[in-house]
Amino acid sequence: MPSAPYDQVRTLYRTILVFATVGVLVLIVGLVEFVHFEPPGQATGAKARIVGVYVYDPATGATSGSDQGQFARSQQFAAVVDWSSLPSGITVDARWYDAFGDVVGRAGPGTPAQLAAHQVVPVVVPSGFHHSLPGSYTFVVERIQGAIPVEVLARRIVLVQRT
Amino acid sequence: MIKVTTPPAANPHPRLRPGRYGIAIAVAGVVAVALVASSFLNYVYLDTIPGRASLYGLLAVALIALGTYILVRAFSRDRAMRRKHLIRAGVLIGLGVLLWLLLIDVFVFTQSAGPGVAAICVLVCLPTTGFGLLVVRRMDRNEKEPWRLVLVAAAWGAIVATSLVIWGETIWEATAQRSLVPGPGLDASTAFMAGVLEELAKGSAVVLLFLVMRDEFDDVVDGIVYGAAVGLGFNFMESVTYMTNLYAIFQPEGIGGYAAGFQWYARQVLGLFFGHATYTAFIGAGIGIARQLPSVRQKGFAIASGFIVAIAAHFSWDAWLTFFPIQNSVFGLVEIHMRTLIMTGPFTAAIIALLIFGVRFEGQNLLDQLRKEASDGFGAILPDEVAVLASPWQRLKQRLRALNQGGPREYLATARLQSAQLDLAMERWHRERKEIDTPLGAEVQLRLRVIAMRPRSAP
Repeated sequence: MPSAPYDQVRTLYRTILVFATVGVLVLIVGLVEFVHFEPPGQATGAKARIVGVYVYDPATGATSGSDQGQFARSQQFAAVVDWSSLPSGITVDARWYDAFGDVVGRAGPGTPAQLAAHQVVPVVVPSGFHHSLPGSYTFVVERIQGAIPVEVLARRIVLVQRT
Repeated sequence: MIKVTTPPAANPHPRLRPGRYGIAIAVAGVVAVALVASSFLNYVYLDTIPGRASLYGLLAVALIALGTYILVRAFSRDRAMRRKHLIRAGVLIGLGVLLWLLLIDVFVFTQSAGPGVAAICVLVCLPTTGFGLLVVRRMDRNEKEPWRLVLVAAAWGAIVATSLVIWGETIWEATAQRSLVPGPGLDASTAFMAGVLEELAKGSAVVLLFLVMRDEFDDVVDGIVYGAAVGLGFNFMESVTYMTNLYAIFQPEGIGGYAAGFQWYARQVLGLFFGHATYTAFIGAGIGIARQLPSVRQKGFAIASGFIVAIAAHFSWDAWLTFFPIQNSVFGLVEIHMRTLIMTGPFTAAIIALLIFGVRFEGQNLLDQLRKEASDGFGAILPDEVAVLASPWQRLKQRLRALNQGGPREYLATARLQSAQLDLAMERWHRERKEIDTPLGAEVQLRLRVIAMRPRSAP
């Protein structure tokens, strides 16, 4: 090995500064992405009304019982939305997200009038599974603009138990 | 107040106890306060099983923190005191580990998947993590870090760092889930959270090692080794958590073993080095480079740079994972590997580049110091030994020759002599660069130690 000809710590220092610059760029891209999907100044003041989350019978398409915040794993459930509470000129949809962030049920997009016939929005059991996976489920009614959800008009979180 | 040391230090400090100990105490204090606050808030607000484990686990965390501190300091004491401190440290760490495992088993893992599955998950993650630590330690070809410190780093990553982030991540996730639009924006927010909180928690362990164990933290190579070890420890605990959790979720559908096995492969095989080990190695690299920089400003920039790269690498994986969907087919197996290679590969390649450069730089300077020591004629390093000491392969050949001639005892004696000679060269290097605050007497002692070893194992 030849002897060290100059102080190579400077090279290491400059290299990590270059890497940090790349890191800052990555974080800026992340911030831009966040702002793109979570644009500021989108609050319209509109509020959707979620009537409740109920036990759901997929055979009849009907809900039953009282509004619940927790369900057993073997139970199927659905949210009931009052679309008439929304202004008519906006595009909206409703989605269920499971604990992994996957969409497991939806209605829309469309205007509140178009969605009037879709008051019941059930969680669909994933293909090949017998029951919904346990964990926290989020139901949102969103305002859509340019094919992207930009504002949450109503939200409910329910828990599916492991047993 | 003592102003000078006798003999004089290369880089004299106004007090015998360097100022970095004050910083270390402050960092440790912040970590302790964060842990206590986190545990109580978890217990009060989360009211979940992990919340209880977090609260009851405080004692275990305190025992391990105190035990590891006594352990690493024990080796800088004289032989008589060392044994006493090692026993104390062993008892404290042993109690802490037992208490922690009991809590984890009882409250978290066994709660979700049962004690048998929890035990299997731990057992299958141990060999892979052990292999990772072995590889990481061997990366330092010139002067390997002591196992005790590598294991302490991994233990901090597994136990202290994971405990630190529970509260922050829970609050952040709960707030984001209730206020943001689900989708890529929420994913980006969660990724910022994981990148910032987890890297700060892991990085605190590397910072503490740098502040307290300066003698064993020489340069960028050591930083990468300690950082990667902390990352491997964190990855171990995270793997067990995900495996037991997903087993519990998917077992009623009959695919719990598959779900846990996939997590094991993704985190303990594919992601063993392409993940937390890479991220935290950047923090170690930044601190290791700072170790050898002259100005405080440059040191600050280097350390901040390491943290920024680590956070960015961690963020990019968590935020953009969903942009690389995996097909549910045989080709999906190829896609999983390609995704890891494309997303984390560049960062791993960058840290390997820093490592290779650092090893070469360290090797060149050690060779330079070995030559100088040999030419000084003190007898600690002989001119004929320089070429052997400068080459890991030559050193191994010399140890194997000793093994053939005198058995394992001679092998170990030769290994100790080589290690002491390299320590001396490293000490000389730091002194020449004015990167050391111990008095010159420390170098003289190292030289005398080497000379004292010679009669038993002269090559």
